[in-house]
Amino acid sequence: MNIFFLLIIILFSGALLSFVSNRIVPKISGIISFLIISLVSILFFSQVNIGETFQFILGEIPMQYGVTPYTYIFAIIVLGLGTLAAMYSIEYMKDKDRLGYFYSNFLLTILGMLGIVFSQDFISLFIFWEIMTWSSYLLVIYNGYNSRNVGMKYMIFSAIGAYAMLTAIVSIKANYGTYTIAEAIQNGAFNFSEHMYIPIMLLVGFAVKAALMPLHVWAPNAYSKSPMSFTSIFSGAMSKMGILGIGLVLASAYSYSNNDDTTNYITALRYTLGWLGGITAVMATIYALIQTDAKKLLAYSSVAQLGYIIVGLSTGTELGVMAALFLAVVHGIFKGALFMVVGAIEKQVGTTDMTKISGLIRKMPFTFFVALVSIIALAGVPPLGGFVGKWMLYEALITESNNYFLIIVIFFSSTAAFLYSYRFLFGLFLGQEEKETEHVTEAPITMIIPMMILAILLIVTGAFPGILFEPISHGMHNLGFSDVNWSMSVLVNVWGEESNMTYINLSIGIVFVVIFAFLTIKGYKGTKNVGTKDISTGGEIPTENENLTFQLDFFKPFERAAAPLYKRSMDKIWNDLGNAIDSLSDFMRKIYSGNGQTYALFVVIFLVILLLFKDTLFAN
Amino acid sequence: MVISPIHYIFVPLVAAFAIPLLSKLNKELPRIIPGIVLFYNIIISFVLMQEVNEVGYISEVIAGWRAPIGINLIITPFSGFLVSLISVLGFLIWLYGFRFKKVIDDGELRSYNILQMMMITGAIGIIITGDIFNLFVFLEIVAITAVSLTSFYRGRDGAEAGFKYLLIGGFASAMILLAILILYTQVGTLNMAEIAERMHTVPTGIKSTILILFIVGFGIEAELFPLNGWAPDAYSQAPGPTSTAFAGIVVKAGVYGLIRIIFTLFDIEGAYDFLIIAGLITMIIAEAAALKQTNLKRMLAYSSIGQMGLALIAFGIGTKEAVFAAMFLLLNHAIIKSLLFMTGSILMYNSKEKTISSLHGIAKRLPFISILFAIGAFAIVGLPPFSGFWSKLYILSAAADKEMIFLIVTILAVSVIEIIYYFRVVSKLYFAEGTTNVEVYKPKINAKISMLILGIAIFVIGFYPDLVTGYLHNAADILLDKASYIQYVLNTDSTIQ
Amino acid sequence: MEDLGLKIFGAILTTFMAFAVGMTYGGIVRKLTARVQNRYGPPVYQNFLDLLKLQSKKTNIAHGFMGHMAPVWIIIAAVTVLMFIPILNGNLWFPNLSFHGDLIFLLYMMVFGSLGMALGAGQTGNPNSAIGVTRGLSQMVGYEIPFVLALVALMIQYETTSVQDLTQIQHETGVWNAFANPFAFLAALFASLGMFRYSPFDIVGAPAELASGPVSEFGGKYLGTMMSGGAVFAFIKLTLYVHLFFGGAGNPDNSGIWATLAGIGILLIKTFLLYMIPVFYGWINPRYRTEQAIRYFWGWPTALGILGVLWAVYIY
Repeated sequence: MNIFFLLIIILFSGALLSFVSNRIVPKISGIISFLIISLVSILFFSQVNIGETFQFILGEIPMQYGVTPYTYIFAIIVLGLGTLAAMYSIEYMKDKDRLGYFYSNFLLTILGMLGIVFSQDFISLFIFWEIMTWSSYLLVIYNGYNSRNVGMKYMIFSAIGAYAMLTAIVSIKANYGTYTIAEAIQNGAFNFSEHMYIPIMLLVGFAVKAALMPLHVWAPNAYSKSPMSFTSIFSGAMSKMGILGIGLVLASAYSYSNNDDTTNYITALRYTLGWLGGITAVMATIYALIQTDAKKLLAYSSVAQLGYIIVGLSTGTELGVMAALFLAVVHGIFKGALFMVVGAIEKQVGTTDMTKISGLIRKMPFTFFVALVSIIALAGVPPLGGFVGKWMLYEALITESNNYFLIIVIFFSSTAAFLYSYRFLFGLFLGQEEKETEHVTEAPITMIIPMMILAILLIVTGAFPGILFEPISHGMHNLGFSDVNWSMSVLVNVWGEESNMTYINLSIGIVFVVIFAFLTIKGYKGTKNVGTKDISTGGEIPTENENLTFQLDFFKPFERAAAPLYKRSMDKIWNDLGNAIDSLSDFMRKIYSGNGQTYALFVVIFLVILLLFKDTLFAN
Repeated sequence: MVISPIHYIFVPLVAAFAIPLLSKLNKELPRIIPGIVLFYNIIISFVLMQEVNEVGYISEVIAGWRAPIGINLIITPFSGFLVSLISVLGFLIWLYGFRFKKVIDDGELRSYNILQMMMITGAIGIIITGDIFNLFVFLEIVAITAVSLTSFYRGRDGAEAGFKYLLIGGFASAMILLAILILYTQVGTLNMAEIAERMHTVPTGIKSTILILFIVGFGIEAELFPLNGWAPDAYSQAPGPTSTAFAGIVVKAGVYGLIRIIFTLFDIEGAYDFLIIAGLITMIIAEAAALKQTNLKRMLAYSSIGQMGLALIAFGIGTKEAVFAAMFLLLNHAIIKSLLFMTGSILMYNSKEKTISSLHGIAKRLPFISILFAIGAFAIVGLPPFSGFWSKLYILSAAADKEMIFLIVTILAVSVIEIIYYFRVVSKLYFAEGTTNVEVYKPKINAKISMLILGIAIFVIGFYPDLVTGYLHNAADILLDKASYIQYVLNTDSTIQ
Repeated sequence: MEDLGLKIFGAILTTFMAFAVGMTYGGIVRKLTARVQNRYGPPVYQNFLDLLKLQSKKTNIAHGFMGHMAPVWIIIAAVTVLMFIPILNGNLWFPNLSFHGDLIFLLYMMVFGSLGMALGAGQTGNPNSAIGVTRGLSQMVGYEIPFVLALVALMIQYETTSVQDLTQIQHETGVWNAFANPFAFLAALFASLGMFRYSPFDIVGAPAELASGPVSEFGGKYLGTMMSGGAVFAFIKLTLYVHLFFGGAGNPDNSGIWATLAGIGILLIKTFLLYMIPVFYGWINPRYRTEQAIRYFWGWPTALGILGVLWAVYIY
């Protein structure tokens, strides 16, 4: 019994067990699923050897499994985030019903993702991809929202993507004779010289999961309406499965440069992907900053960050791809943490509408700390991990690609990201303290622990990005890229310049200590800590019924300034398409008019037509 | 050989005649007898399948007249597989419907059971016969029993559905009879093997006319577009077990007839392309119409039509892999659709308005049924790891081998639509707010067992399709191998091979 | 060891120099503004006096943890950025850490301070502070575009992202970047108007608008620390501009005392002259609303920036 089967069986039986156990002992499903995922993670990281493969035949198709260095990176994200989310979810889901359903689908989703990581042939990739899709669909509709809009949209887009992938997969078998990924690449499946639709269809399939424009419209609602402990892995890990695929296809495509045509196509592809990623980043960012619901803000922000990652992949250079993969891991960490934060607030306060809550910093200090660290990482500010990734991305764009205007787009989006980062922190934690939130206490400990672990990870990867560089670098070798210069704390770019994180951190640390001490100690006795009602508004003290909360129309000036950008909406296009198909099917339905004589008439007409055209139809 | 295939026909016939007499003894007997008969069918099937996998063909002549004068019954791996499937399904349907209606008077009980048993027998007869007029006879048996069962509930809607079926079914019978007549005048024989041998002597114009007549006739039973107008009505008005039998058994017989005609009897190349196009149109229109349905059973009926269209496409592609895939699809569809109709009937029974939207939130009170329905829905759409995925994969793979990319894209686009309307129902079941205190009709243990068996079958085939692929490959090979079919039948010296 | 001691000494010296120069510039500008407005004006060392007053207050109001952290972060940002800018070209006295960072890092580090202040202002609960912050951030999105375009143009043109190298290249070719890529320079100049927050872009902290905006709730030692941080920042930005566009200051070949002093002198002159540009512009302009300001930056300055990038790509 090899390790892969063992893990799959553990997860699968775990899912069944969770489902069933909830009827016997209520509330135990959460603990069971946490234990199962922890077991799987421990087994994975201790037993799995990179490079081992297993083969067996199912349904007359040879299937191959194994972990490559490239997919190992994603395994880290999936299992790490999964374990922490499971621990978080014990407390978060405690008072909800249908826990068995939730946890079994949760485990199935992890199963699907782990299977994708392990798959080395297309059919198993597809199987696990679909398992992941339908189990996540079942969780998206968990909150009972109008499933037609939210869950259905997600399922439709996922199905379109998956079926595009399936078309490509069967075509690969027909044209290149194999289902195994490595062999297909060797036989030239991705080299764009013929059958161009194959890699493009695969990219479409992966791009849906990675929420690339124009296939991203399901993401904001799906991310915000699912239960938050699921959204941590939904946005943190599942979108990375799309990145896994895109990276794989692109890397294989880049390694070909047989003739000019191929190179032209590939360059065109790179440009297209880069611009799509850039536009995704910009549009999602500006939509993020006008949101009033914290969950939706994070959802849009997720889409934007994925845009960066895709831009990184599209550069095709070592530094760019490294940046993309690094950002992918770090994004998984901080987005997972942020969704947990929002979930904690939702649990303690009851809502995440930023116009209704504010000033939680004193009441939920640990949550705030996690949020602060995650937001700093998101914004890309030194010294945390986000900066490292962004630095590499910019360097790659400036130094190695010719796509200069893309840099501006990314920078714009990055700057605008500060706006919604601030909005998130201010909207939930800072600002006036309201009476409605007076009763709020800090989140329970089993929710805090995973969040803090993630926050600490962010700090560590910021100071020592080398920890992540090592597996990423192996993964890139595996894909066919040569090495980028890196060491534990130094980033180097192609022109030889470096950015040494050690010095940066040292400098920040020393100054912090000095000034902090100075500020605290000096005049210590004379410092009064006041609440938020004790402010100077034009020299007067505000009375009880004065409204001092600023949460609505937070960025109205920006909205006004960028008004033309807001008018474009991809969503409308898709909705129109859906309506068109709907009326078409209505038309089809009316063919079955219910009138028996009409049906009989159809038969006769059919007969007559066939008889008239029998010579053309049935020529021997 | 241990058991003769004639038992398939003989035993149910005797039982059918005996039921009215025996029911005088004991009122419950009409319920039980079909069960015994159908179980016996299963036993026969297993024995015969063993035999046929070793020997290749089993051919039996009736009443001592040797082929090609006499009527003979053929069991090949293909027909044997279908017949076994039908037997098992028939038994499960009987089990499911054992106490379907709580209160039913004796006359109705008798007629219901007789008719249901005869319908299944007729379908089996269509498949195992080797004589074309015999085929027609069994087709008529199926048609008559089906029409009667459609209008079983003596209401206005049942009568209307039955009338439509009768009207169009009459057309079907007339077409087929006409075709047989013309064919007889051309080749002088009614034995299918001999017809196949002599087909090349028939002039092309007449040949294609005969083919067209057959296509229209069988197409009506196989629910080809535009001949399938009767189907949604019939499926939705018939009692639960009957619509299950329609979807799982009767339509398979129709498809079998069509395929047998085109593959074995005729040798016209264009027929294959015709199958693809006709199947494609059927599938597209049926699935599109299904999207807008509000009645669950009608929706399932349209979905059935669509799946049959897909099967015809697969048959039309014509390669070994394609035929294998088509048979796999038929197998899966029979199991899954039966499950869906079984669960769907119970769900519909609990709804007063008989619409999908009235089902909201019912999963809380009917968890077992809802989960089985959900499994069926996932399976039929083709999601791994359920069985429906494999059949879809093989069909697409076969299409890709022949570079039919447009076909693949269309099939998958239609699959997306399938997902929409199936998942709509599933999410309504589970996640819409439901009324909390309505009495629900919970199924009894017998129904639960049959549904559970089907559900388990879906899982097992899904996880390990290699269980059935061996048989199916065999069956596909035989179907395509016309020459040995003819040889076996015509050179059978004794009654037993 | 001696080297390390020299480095630390240089670092502290740099900080104090920056602080002193920044404050003095502030004072000079106040004086000049007053004269332009037909007033007498405070003395040039007024800023130091203000700082002294603020730091010696007996009671200080703190608005919670983030409020306490805000000045700390500003100083962190200011000093860190200072360490990574080569004040004098290749000088042994002020080498700092400029080998080990580059332009992109500097851009992001400057934001670190603003973020701190924004968070601190947010915690006070004063709506004016929050409004001020949002206006400031929105404006920042505005002027960052031409600024980044200008920097990218320079980086592409000379294929380096290190400030040190950019200055070196100007020294070697003998041509200031302001003339080597005039479009980039103009774009950066327009951006600097936004950065220094003089009119017409001073809506962020305008007393008449917002009761001083983000800083409205800071007092005592906090305000004092923030003032010092602000002064250092002003110096940093000016020095950065000088190094990028006006050839920097200091002679890399000579590290003697007189050469160093001469270098410092040249640096002071250049930065002061550069500082006068936004100040002049501010004297004569009214205030823009935030959306007008954003639109302004996305208009001509961005166009100039794009021209600068094209120039860098195609002319060089």
